[in-house]
Amino acid sequence: MILAYAVAIPVAAVFLFPYAWMLSGAFRRTRDVLADPLRLWPEQFDLAVLADIARIGGAPLHGFVLNSLLYTSLATVLGTLAAALGAYAITRRPRLPGFRWLRAGFLLTVMYPYMLLVVPVYIAMHKLGLLGSPLGIVLFLCLGPIQFLLFEQFFRAVPAAVIEAATIDGASEWQVLTRIVLPMAMPVTATVALIGFLLTWAQWFPVLVISRGPETYTLPVALLSLNTELGASFQGIMALAVLTTLPPAILFLIAQRRVMQGMAGGAVKG
Amino acid sequence: MQERATRLTRRCLGFAAAAALAAPSVVRAQVTTLTIWHDLGDNGITWFERMGQAFAQVRPGVAIRSQSFPTEQWFGRVIGAINTNSAPDLIFNNYERVIRIQSQTNRVMDLRPVLEGVRDRDFLSEQDLRVGTFRDRLIIIPTQRVQMAMGTRLSWLRRVGESAPPDTWEDVRRVAQKFREGDPDGNGRADTFPFALQAARPRDLVHMLDLFTFGAGLTHTLIDPAGNITIDQPEHATVLAEFLRTYSTYRWVPPDTVNHSFTEMYQVIEGGRAGMFRVGDWNVRRWDGANTIGGDFVSHPWPRFFPNRDNAVVIAGMRGVGVPENAPNRALSVEFARFMLTRPAQQASLEVMGSAVRKDLDVSSLSERQQWFARARHRLVAYDFPEATHAFYPELEAGFHRRLLAAIGSPPRDHEVFIRELAREMRDTARRLSRG
Amino acid sequence: MRGLHRVRAEGIFYLLVLPFAALTVLFGLWPIVLSVQVSFTASATALRPDPQWVGLANYASVLGDTLFQESLWRTLAYTAMAVAANLAFALAAALLLDSKLLPRGNMAFRLILFLPVVTPDVAGYVVWRWLFDSSFGAVNAALDAAGLPAFAGLTTPATATASVLVAELWHHAGFYTLIFLANLAIRDPALEEAAKVDGAGAWARFRHVILPQLRPALVINLVYATIQFLKTFTVVVVMTKGGPAESTTFVSYLAYQYFDQARYGEATAMATILFAVVIVLSLLAYALGERGRA
Repeated sequence: MILAYAVAIPVAAVFLFPYAWMLSGAFRRTRDVLADPLRLWPEQFDLAVLADIARIGGAPLHGFVLNSLLYTSLATVLGTLAAALGAYAITRRPRLPGFRWLRAGFLLTVMYPYMLLVVPVYIAMHKLGLLGSPLGIVLFLCLGPIQFLLFEQFFRAVPAAVIEAATIDGASEWQVLTRIVLPMAMPVTATVALIGFLLTWAQWFPVLVISRGPETYTLPVALLSLNTELGASFQGIMALAVLTTLPPAILFLIAQRRVMQGMAGGAVKG
Repeated sequence: MQERATRLTRRCLGFAAAAALAAPSVVRAQVTTLTIWHDLGDNGITWFERMGQAFAQVRPGVAIRSQSFPTEQWFGRVIGAINTNSAPDLIFNNYERVIRIQSQTNRVMDLRPVLEGVRDRDFLSEQDLRVGTFRDRLIIIPTQRVQMAMGTRLSWLRRVGESAPPDTWEDVRRVAQKFREGDPDGNGRADTFPFALQAARPRDLVHMLDLFTFGAGLTHTLIDPAGNITIDQPEHATVLAEFLRTYSTYRWVPPDTVNHSFTEMYQVIEGGRAGMFRVGDWNVRRWDGANTIGGDFVSHPWPRFFPNRDNAVVIAGMRGVGVPENAPNRALSVEFARFMLTRPAQQASLEVMGSAVRKDLDVSSLSERQQWFARARHRLVAYDFPEATHAFYPELEAGFHRRLLAAIGSPPRDHEVFIRELAREMRDTARRLSRG
Repeated sequence: MRGLHRVRAEGIFYLLVLPFAALTVLFGLWPIVLSVQVSFTASATALRPDPQWVGLANYASVLGDTLFQESLWRTLAYTAMAVAANLAFALAAALLLDSKLLPRGNMAFRLILFLPVVTPDVAGYVVWRWLFDSSFGAVNAALDAAGLPAFAGLTTPATATASVLVAELWHHAGFYTLIFLANLAIRDPALEEAAKVDGAGAWARFRHVILPQLRPALVINLVYATIQFLKTFTVVVVMTKGGPAESTTFVSYLAYQYFDQARYGEATAMATILFAVVIVLSLLAYALGERGRA
């Protein structure tokens, strides 16, 4: 047992160190960080950095925070809904014309190296008239492989007997869905929504491509944008990184049990 | 039940919010807004705001709205926008970047007739206009000549007993040794480096070489307009060899420099770990500040390598404004482009961005170090922008970069032999690319 | 006619799947199709509304490009290493956490492992980038304080690959650990009891009782990890920019570089080839895992 802790504690320390360093880097001046990298407690709490990042690319910091919160929440709600209904339909009737193609196509989208899709996504959104619109961003963010796969696993595990019993009793498909399956799916849905929120928060690529300007940027995108030749402040980057990491970290810590059980429980059913 | 109600409410709110977002905003257009896309960050946005205010005096009812994108994204966006007819009104960037836009869209306006209509333009030389021209089309109106000098930490010079910044390459060698071993920042630790440079991407490394090459009074770092490779000419080879040694055998830069791009290079400079570095006329504003190096540096020309060639400060960039042919408000955009050459616009450019093209501006409000650039009493040479002449230049440069990094990672025993070999390779590559 | 008839009768299912289908097709498949289209055009005209079609020329050029060939081998090698390292670490961590050896703070350890998974990758990698810096980073400062030799960090090819691997493991391993943990939670205790009674040692129990029951998690993790690491991109952009000496220029980053050089046709051809490789390998991984399923 001692051996176990002797291994676990150092590993945990290594995993946690980046966060401590990030936090301290937000408060220490670049000069001090480069002079004494190991020191975690700031020499002084230099809050001047907040002025540095108060406006990025002309848009205010609180705008990025609001965007992150708004887009992530909306995309989570809509995405969870679409994934749930879609997964339900596909597991109930896997052989309907087009369903197998849809499922295969969906899995394919996960496999493509996304970074080259800048111009195609731009063109596609332009043709849909959604360029630069928050709605376009939200809709794009709804796409999430994990959500679909978790729901699929869950619905597959619903015993056929339960559905059969209902249909024999004369219930329509709609009633089966709303009266029987959905109530059962409540816990999974909450879990999927949580996981969806956590993963969607970190997404930067779609937001960056679809935005026409910094007013629709989210925090991770603002972080990337700090990288301009004409003004790159290490402290600012660290401070923004902290701001970007904090909300999902806090949410995760609050809902930990649910997230961890749901993440795995849905994925592995013997 | 409770959960179901909450979820239903959430769903409804979700739809409502989504619908609200999608509803088009109904705003009465009382003002025409011109959009301009650049990559200058917050400074650039401030600059365009100031120009917008000045422009409104001349042209009421027109507002200027600028947006900054990281350079890499600026390309994709502008090209995509122009090609899908959703172009901004104006684009602003370095000349060689606007070239890329023109070659991929062929829809950047020829501004020559526009410029001809401007009477007050004596400050624009033939050289400036030639730089702004690509295949007989004037694709930008030049508005900023960007100077890049070498900078040296004043307090470091004093502490190691040097009375003046280095002028010749011999001076540099002496000063570099002292910066490395003489504890120039006085903190008792051997943690200082003579130079802060960059190397990660092709443009990062070769740009540094450009500065040393042109700064030493030579021209054409890698390839000349006729297509001849220049690196194995005796003087070029000397500069290149010393440049490579700076990174490798002399150990005058932090070892991680091979991974450094400008962000990391700035970190090293602002963190007070390097004695000599590149100073752009836009850096001064920030580096005068107390939270960076507090103005503790002096700008001067790049090192003199050859007694018969004068050293200089390099005009390594020409920034200008271009107008897409399918700009939503073409006539107004052209007017604003012309406006950017007027005194108020240029004054704002000098004060906010550090460079301009006009010679009759008021420099009294600038700091001592900013004035050094603005007065430009030193010798200036202009970079040759090979990308304008050879469409294959980016690919050639990438190959060049690869081999240079290899030479930095494993320094060759004989640099002269290496450079001869490299020149031969580059000739083959250039021949292949120019055919293809 | 039968197909259409079915569609009408089962209309409700089509209705239910509509949002999901719309999202997948419009935002997932369509951009990919557009991108593949670009791979068949000449780079100089690729992004114009009227491009010049060149058939398979870009593919031929890419496949014959030594840079690409080297990058492909490098990517495959890195993926193999990363998958092995991540799964081994995750399995060890899961077994340790599941055993009775860490009663106090067990949940805390799980949280610490999983936190990096939900940390935005950009933020995390920026911190790791500076941690590994030879002159200014905490890693070397710590080694120095402990009297150990310095770690070359991102400055030499071998150590740069290792550093990238470590940073990615920090970010991804928690996820795989979780999958293993869940699988461990549903295993049959009776089988282990029986093995213990039979006198089997810990290693034998692991090999013959626990491991077979972990098959579902192994398959999932193998497929996920393969796809994930074949596409390695953000970490290279933030930490090494492909260097030093191309040691971390994996295919997706090389394609990105070509894109930067305005070689759009070749860049998208490369992406499509990588896409094909990902599909083939993940199918292989899946088949491998499912093979021998009783």
